[in-house]
Amino acid sequence: MVSGAAIPVGIDVQVESIDGISEVNMDFTITLYLRHYWKDERLAFPSRTNQSRTFDSRLVKKIWVPDVFFVHSKRSFIHDTTMENIMLRVYPDGNILYSVRVTVTALCSMDFSSFPLDTQNCSLELESYAYNENDLMLYWKNGNDSLRTDEIVLSQFFIEHFHASSGLAFYSSTGWYNRLFINFILRRHIFFFMLQTYFPTMLMVVLSWVSFWIDRRAVPARVSLGITTVLTMSTIITGVSSAMPQVSYVKAVDIYLWTSFLFVFLSVIEYAAVNYCTTLEEMRKMKRGKIPSTSNASQAMAFDGCFHDNDMELTPFSRMAPALTSDPLTTPTLTPDLRPTEGTRLRRQRSVRENVDLFVSNSYMIDSYSRLAFPLSYLLFNIIYWCFYS
Amino acid sequence: MPCYARILFIVLCLILLGECRKHRSRRKRWSAPAEGHKPGTPLSKKVADGTKSKKLKTSHLLRIDEHDFTMRPAFAGPAVPVGVDVQVESLDSISEVDMDFTMTLYLRHYWKDERLAFLSTTNKSMTFDGRLVKKIWVPDVFFVHSKRSFIHDTTTENIMLRVFPDGHVLYSLRVTVTAACNMDFSRFPLDSQTCTLELESYAYTDEDLMLYWKSGDESLRTDDRISLSQFLIQKFHTSSRLAFYSSTGWYNRLYINFTLRRHIFFFLLQTYFPATLMVMLSWVSFWIDRRAVPARVSLGITTVLTMSTIITGVNASMPRVSYIKAVDIYLWVSFVFVFLSVLEYAAVNYLTTVRDGKDRKLREKAREQSQNLPCTCGMSHGRTMMLDGTYSEADANSLAGYTRGSMAADDASEKPERIVVHLSLDNEPTETKKKKGFRIIQNTHAIDTSSRMIFPGAYILFNLIYWCVYC
Repeated sequence: MVSGAAIPVGIDVQVESIDGISEVNMDFTITLYLRHYWKDERLAFPSRTNQSRTFDSRLVKKIWVPDVFFVHSKRSFIHDTTMENIMLRVYPDGNILYSVRVTVTALCSMDFSSFPLDTQNCSLELESYAYNENDLMLYWKNGNDSLRTDEIVLSQFFIEHFHASSGLAFYSSTGWYNRLFINFILRRHIFFFMLQTYFPTMLMVVLSWVSFWIDRRAVPARVSLGITTVLTMSTIITGVSSAMPQVSYVKAVDIYLWTSFLFVFLSVIEYAAVNYCTTLEEMRKMKRGKIPSTSNASQAMAFDGCFHDNDMELTPFSRMAPALTSDPLTTPTLTPDLRPTEGTRLRRQRSVRENVDLFVSNSYMIDSYSRLAFPLSYLLFNIIYWCFYS
Repeated sequence: MPCYARILFIVLCLILLGECRKHRSRRKRWSAPAEGHKPGTPLSKKVADGTKSKKLKTSHLLRIDEHDFTMRPAFAGPAVPVGVDVQVESLDSISEVDMDFTMTLYLRHYWKDERLAFLSTTNKSMTFDGRLVKKIWVPDVFFVHSKRSFIHDTTTENIMLRVFPDGHVLYSLRVTVTAACNMDFSRFPLDSQTCTLELESYAYTDEDLMLYWKSGDESLRTDDRISLSQFLIQKFHTSSRLAFYSSTGWYNRLYINFTLRRHIFFFLLQTYFPATLMVMLSWVSFWIDRRAVPARVSLGITTVLTMSTIITGVNASMPRVSYIKAVDIYLWVSFVFVFLSVLEYAAVNYLTTVRDGKDRKLREKAREQSQNLPCTCGMSHGRTMMLDGTYSEADANSLAGYTRGSMAADDASEKPERIVVHLSLDNEPTETKKKKGFRIIQNTHAIDTSSRMIFPGAYILFNLIYWCVYC
């Protein structure tokens, strides 16, 4: 090396493949052909034909080659099957082409706040280890065309853009170094997550709405429907979180899953409200004496969930039956047997406010409104979510 | 003291003399094995050690130090042709998640290097192991698109070099390669994958080194015992082509292609069969009385949960591809069937409730019209009686564990009355099973009846279409 001006070393990269991108480790693995071009006059040789001479890796140990390394790489190696994948081509005037095949695992800071509708920006950085810019000048041989790619296919990502850039890096102990950057932008394919996460979640929320259409007297049915959809949502949430790094901010998929969980949860709470109001209504009517002797049938329905036809004015289609002859007579005889079982024992005072009275005496309205309110609000949430993130 | 010095001096001279003689003899080219000992030598005489024959070092034998082996044979001349021969020892694994395969093979190169020719009367070749490889020139073949690879080195490097007297060289090594294979999962698990392993010289273009299959398609041999647990290996064949690199030129590339067909049995047992069973289980709901609300709802919702678990289980071991796979289609259509059975029961339940409300309205009207009617509690008790009569014999706890204490008190006041839905209303408490059965059938909603035909029929049709398309 001439102790004088910096030696210019041109770099050319052909990316063979991107082997893997790991979210959990926040890194990527890339295999590339790295080519260096420089001139060393000590290697010039006389030649009539002006043809270059090609050598393999054994000559490399005997001559000077640039010591390029990958900044922020975790692991890297030069392939060595069957021989070290190194090529040296020497031209008669002393120009040298030095090519190696390398696999590098390098760090990439990923931002998951829009996962899985996210775009990641990763870069691979090349720099000389020993020689700063006074000794070795690293540059892209053909500008942006220095970076070529084979046909790269990734299962989960779409590679939007590959481009090359260069800069200077300062180390306080050692000075300024030339640094070359290989930048690429990856956009994630949403389809897998649609099928695996969003679609099951939507189906579970829709399934929880089925509960509003089932008779409110079917207590076990509605409760088990609600609680099983909550359980399935919980399983889906756990499944998504297992393949993700444990970041400290909320991701887009988290927002969707937790809002859907909230909807499913609210459908269970809604039924608890309906059931409570139904019971209050029953008690009130019993106290007013408008309940015929068959109230025990309705209570039985409340507990075993099966249809027992009766005259209970619990549906919107029945009117308050006028106080018929038999009812006041039979009621006192049966009232002792109609001691409400647990859960319906009325320990409270009478309700005070007017609208609570309205709800309680017409608890079927909660269901009717829910049949519209829940689907509409979920649809609204979906519209807002997809517009915001797409 | 001087005595000792003299003796020492003499011993040193003798040693030096011995070394000189040895050194001189090493320079000579050795061509015949040294004799062990003269025949008839008495035992007391020292017998020359046969293992310490006066062979020359290999470097002298092959005149390695006289040539510069960093340059290829016929350097600056025509391309050196290198024949390649492969014997595949095993296919170690095929990974869908990483989209690669691992293969162990014996890779043999054949070329001629005149610098290694030696005189021989017997025309027999000489065999060397890995230590000579570092000193001579060998082709630098590498595996394109390989992720990891290594030459086995237990107990020593698995390399063989055989040099023939005319300079032909056979260079064999045992390699394990993990190479990328683009897999297409759109027909998974009824798919076939074609993978290739590509060999190329790293440094030398086709003007310097010509890589070719030594015996055409027969250059590729496979052990008979190659078998994979999940795949059937259909075909191994070779091909060759030129590859162009814009910076460095044209290179010869050799391909080893093989086709793998997946065994379907594991997925039939693990995925298709459970999914089909779950769908059939959801049809059971149509045969259960529509008044058993908790039973039908929990049956429907539990089959939905199980289908969801099966779907999650399949996707755990698959790469996250952006298109739909054949197994996804099957599982999602089955999921939709199960989901629809839940919706069907919601519809039945809702319509039943609506109809019962209308019935009650009619009853009240009838009651208002005729004053002589006794309280309707009897009628309702009658119907209740029917339901309870049906179930109480079977299992008192089948509905919710609550039995009705006041059942017996209501016998007396029953009175038949015409109801829209129920065509036969019996006065007597239910006694015979036949009558009970008749009543159950009469109490079925029309949706249930048609669902019992439609759901199985549609699912069977879907299965016919699916298996015809993919098989």
